[in-house]
Amino acid sequence: MKRKVFILLIVPLLLGFKSGEVDNLRKPADDTKEIIALIKKVFNNVTFRLTEKESDWQEAKIGLPLSDGNELRTGTKSLAVVLFKDGSGILRVRENSILHIYGTSEGRKLNKDAFIQRGMIGFDVNKQAEGEEFRFTTPTVVASIRGTNGFLEFDEDSTFTMSLESGMADLSFRGPQGGTGQLNEGNTVVITSDGNFQFRNQNQEDLNKINMSKQATLKKIYIETEEGTIEIEYYAPEE
Amino acid sequence: MCKKYIIALCLLASLIYAQVSNYILDVQVSKAIENSPLNITATLTSIENISSMEIAFRQFGKDEYSIKEMEMKGNTASANIVGESVQSPYIEYYIVIYLKDGSTETYPEGVLNGTPPIQIAVQAPSEKDKEILILSPAPAEKLTPDNFLLSLSFIKAPETVDIKRTRILLNNEDVSSKSLIAGELIILSSSNIKIEPGNYVLKVEVYNKDGNIYHTLSRSVQVVSTARMEQLENQFKFRGNIRAETRTENVSESSTQYSNINATLNASYSFLSIDGQLYVTSEEKSYLQPYNRYLLKIAAGDVFEFHLGDTYPRFPSLILNGKRVRGMSGEIKLGFFNIQSSFGEISRGIEGKLIETYQKENAPLGSNIILIDELKYGNPYGKVELGTYKREIFSLRPSFGSGENFQLGFSYLHGKDDPGSIEFGARPKENAVFGTDLTFDLDNKNIVFNSQAAFSMNNNDISAGEIDDARIDSVFGEGKSIDIDPDQIRTIRDLLGNFITVNEYLGPLNPQELASFAAETNLNINYFYNTLKAAYIYRGNDFQSFGQNYLRTDIKGFNISDRLRLLDNQLFISFGLEKLEDNLQNTKIATTNFDNISSSISYFPRINFPKITLSYSVYKKNNGIDIYDTLYNNYMIKDRTNRISLGVSYNFNWYVRNSVSFTLVNQKREDETLFNNDLTYNSISLSVNSFWNRNLTSMIQVLFNSTELQSTSYDYVSLLGRVNYKMIEDRLQITFSYNPSFGDYKRHYVELLADYNLIANLFLGLQARFFHYPGKYTNSIAGLYARLNF
Repeated sequence: MKRKVFILLIVPLLLGFKSGEVDNLRKPADDTKEIIALIKKVFNNVTFRLTEKESDWQEAKIGLPLSDGNELRTGTKSLAVVLFKDGSGILRVRENSILHIYGTSEGRKLNKDAFIQRGMIGFDVNKQAEGEEFRFTTPTVVASIRGTNGFLEFDEDSTFTMSLESGMADLSFRGPQGGTGQLNEGNTVVITSDGNFQFRNQNQEDLNKINMSKQATLKKIYIETEEGTIEIEYYAPEE
Repeated sequence: MCKKYIIALCLLASLIYAQVSNYILDVQVSKAIENSPLNITATLTSIENISSMEIAFRQFGKDEYSIKEMEMKGNTASANIVGESVQSPYIEYYIVIYLKDGSTETYPEGVLNGTPPIQIAVQAPSEKDKEILILSPAPAEKLTPDNFLLSLSFIKAPETVDIKRTRILLNNEDVSSKSLIAGELIILSSSNIKIEPGNYVLKVEVYNKDGNIYHTLSRSVQVVSTARMEQLENQFKFRGNIRAETRTENVSESSTQYSNINATLNASYSFLSIDGQLYVTSEEKSYLQPYNRYLLKIAAGDVFEFHLGDTYPRFPSLILNGKRVRGMSGEIKLGFFNIQSSFGEISRGIEGKLIETYQKENAPLGSNIILIDELKYGNPYGKVELGTYKREIFSLRPSFGSGENFQLGFSYLHGKDDPGSIEFGARPKENAVFGTDLTFDLDNKNIVFNSQAAFSMNNNDISAGEIDDARIDSVFGEGKSIDIDPDQIRTIRDLLGNFITVNEYLGPLNPQELASFAAETNLNINYFYNTLKAAYIYRGNDFQSFGQNYLRTDIKGFNISDRLRLLDNQLFISFGLEKLEDNLQNTKIATTNFDNISSSISYFPRINFPKITLSYSVYKKNNGIDIYDTLYNNYMIKDRTNRISLGVSYNFNWYVRNSVSFTLVNQKREDETLFNNDLTYNSISLSVNSFWNRNLTSMIQVLFNSTELQSTSYDYVSLLGRVNYKMIEDRLQITFSYNPSFGDYKRHYVELLADYNLIANLFLGLQARFFHYPGKYTNSIAGLYARLNF
């Protein structure tokens, strides 16, 4: 039994190494890779890399173009705002998040896929043109959205939370009951790692998170006291 | 002839815009482009006599005006008309001036008596405007010199356009050479150009490959200093909504009316923010736990938070989490040192009922037979319906480290029933929990470790108060009820009495067996496309926290899982193993082992191919009792549940855009005990969502469900048809659903929902639901609501 368990655990790890090798064979990101988006704003510690195997994390700056497969990472008290090149949407990558950007063009149409490895993303996505798709992927859920704004969170225990202020999203997820569903505006869905899900009306916490996810500026103020300086960092709304 | 027409048109135009008014000098209108916001600003002669102003506007071909309040600042009044209302060929408007003496004037004068309103020609956007996109700045966006970003996208431009020839002019200065061309993007950012605060006109000239100009675009660009931006961001802002609902539920011939009102408010000024929530419902009754909710939250950035009202404080999960506390909660986070505290009521006192009284000699034994006020009720004992004591908690958690990479915390929770809160109650309780927690991560959170441990003490009856020396001597000691040295009890009382009432009902009685100890350790490792998680839990059978009711106790074991990301995050393979056991303090006849294995493979391709998820899980329980063990075989637990599920979803175009999903679930439990609770469950569902046009969507679903429990089957088929239609320019949305079910479960369900945007920000809604159970009864729910966003 122990041996079987060992094999079951070690095989995926080995597959992981294998997949890394396959990725390494791809050409490094250069002109041959399609640019999908660009960074509109960065605050504090925001880094990017071409892919896990193609480069190390480097500092991300305003105006940086992001190609298919690029990853964006935000540190503590950090924020990045990403624009898609077809003007279809804006993503606000909150602190301690990792976002992978994917996209494929078919003629003048661009299918976008934002893979959230971890963290929280605020989004504001326009209605997609016929035949175009904008979707968020996490390891447990795929959400296709259209004309939608809200936030999406994928936390460390693999719980997926999505809350919409407007628009709708089609969800596909794995779980004991299979799993597809539709999330409408004013609602929130929480899907746990084992596929159990709960749809609910937005509560105060969700509304607070939506408000927070819209804030695209990070501010600091300093209060001088006799004991020293207190630094207060806060997210301010976009002007 | 032509000249005459032009002169006449010019005169007409000047007449339109140069209206005579006692209060308005002139009106400035921004460039009117279809679907773009339109700003109308009136310069006032004097504001002394004006109390407020409104603008009324309507689109071409419409009779009804939309009204909007104008913002008065200094000697101007302005309003922005949203882009959706700005449609070609023109938009018409007039201004209403409300005077302090109660009278009203309009601009142009007499518009309410037939004078025509002012007409603004709206320019339809060129198709080429849609081909070359200005991604940044957005219309009316303010930039700072540090955050300056100008970006153009040519993804929708034809191949005849030569991106490299594009000229970018800022206030007529050609800055094209400073821009970067990346694929179909042109980018000009603060790292390439030094720009001073001011108003700029961005002009973009796009050329064909043959060198001829293809199109020009322009946009106003406002660059403000960082200090000015901070000033703008620090302005007072607020938003909120109010929702009121009333509904009637007719269930099994009884009718109940429910009404509620919910209001939320969010306001911010600089780094301060205030959130308020009020929920008042007719379901609130003094004999039930509260349904109403109140909350006021004040926060200063990430450093300080204060909550007053109904809050759900988050402490380490073994201590306080998910519990509503009505009172005060707060947190100060300085990074190197933080403190979090919460104080309030978690259940309110609800009085019980006296059913019967007894004299001392004929009072029966029973958990609901209690001492009562003899003077008041005539007898000393009463049989009662037990009430609920008011229960309050206090919790405190100092911690060190911000939690981003490291944090060490210490928690304390004390909860106590108030014996005086009700008259007919029994066994008021008290609880104290001490805990510690540690979190750290390495390598940018690729390795995350967190652990927590807690120890609880419970007193199951504090009605008699703290034990005194005489009672210690009568209860404890050799040959007494509890064979423990009385001096030892006195020492414990003096020590623990600072935290909890000490008497003979205090537990745990076996702390050395870790009965009231709980601990959890989690390790997450993210490397090489794997997310590996390992956890160990231990929760003694007597562990209890009044701040955490949902914890499974008497359990220990480990859980390990891994998720592998492959094919550029399109293929996910997950595997989990859990091994748990109970009976930690030998309080059960046998120890049950829980062995669970779960696995799944998900393929979420980015090409036009179905999304597929296949899962398989096995759950096994066994307490080792043999079926032939005639003494204990009634307590035997031995079953195995296999569950397999398949989910497929696919988006495709067939006449219209469709989204189809298919789900198959098979679950089989084999129970090897005497009870033979074998169960087979099968479920198949297929649904199709169709998007006919922007106003009409529909859904059709077929669900087959079959359950067989101990050879008794329960099968049914359920159909669902739903149509959603938007009309009156999206202001009215109607949803109609019909859901009949056949087989062993027969029901017809009809639902009608309507949401109407009556005026700006005010919505009215209707819900009507009917449940008809053939041969039985019909239930219904009908309600109305109003929602105001501000």
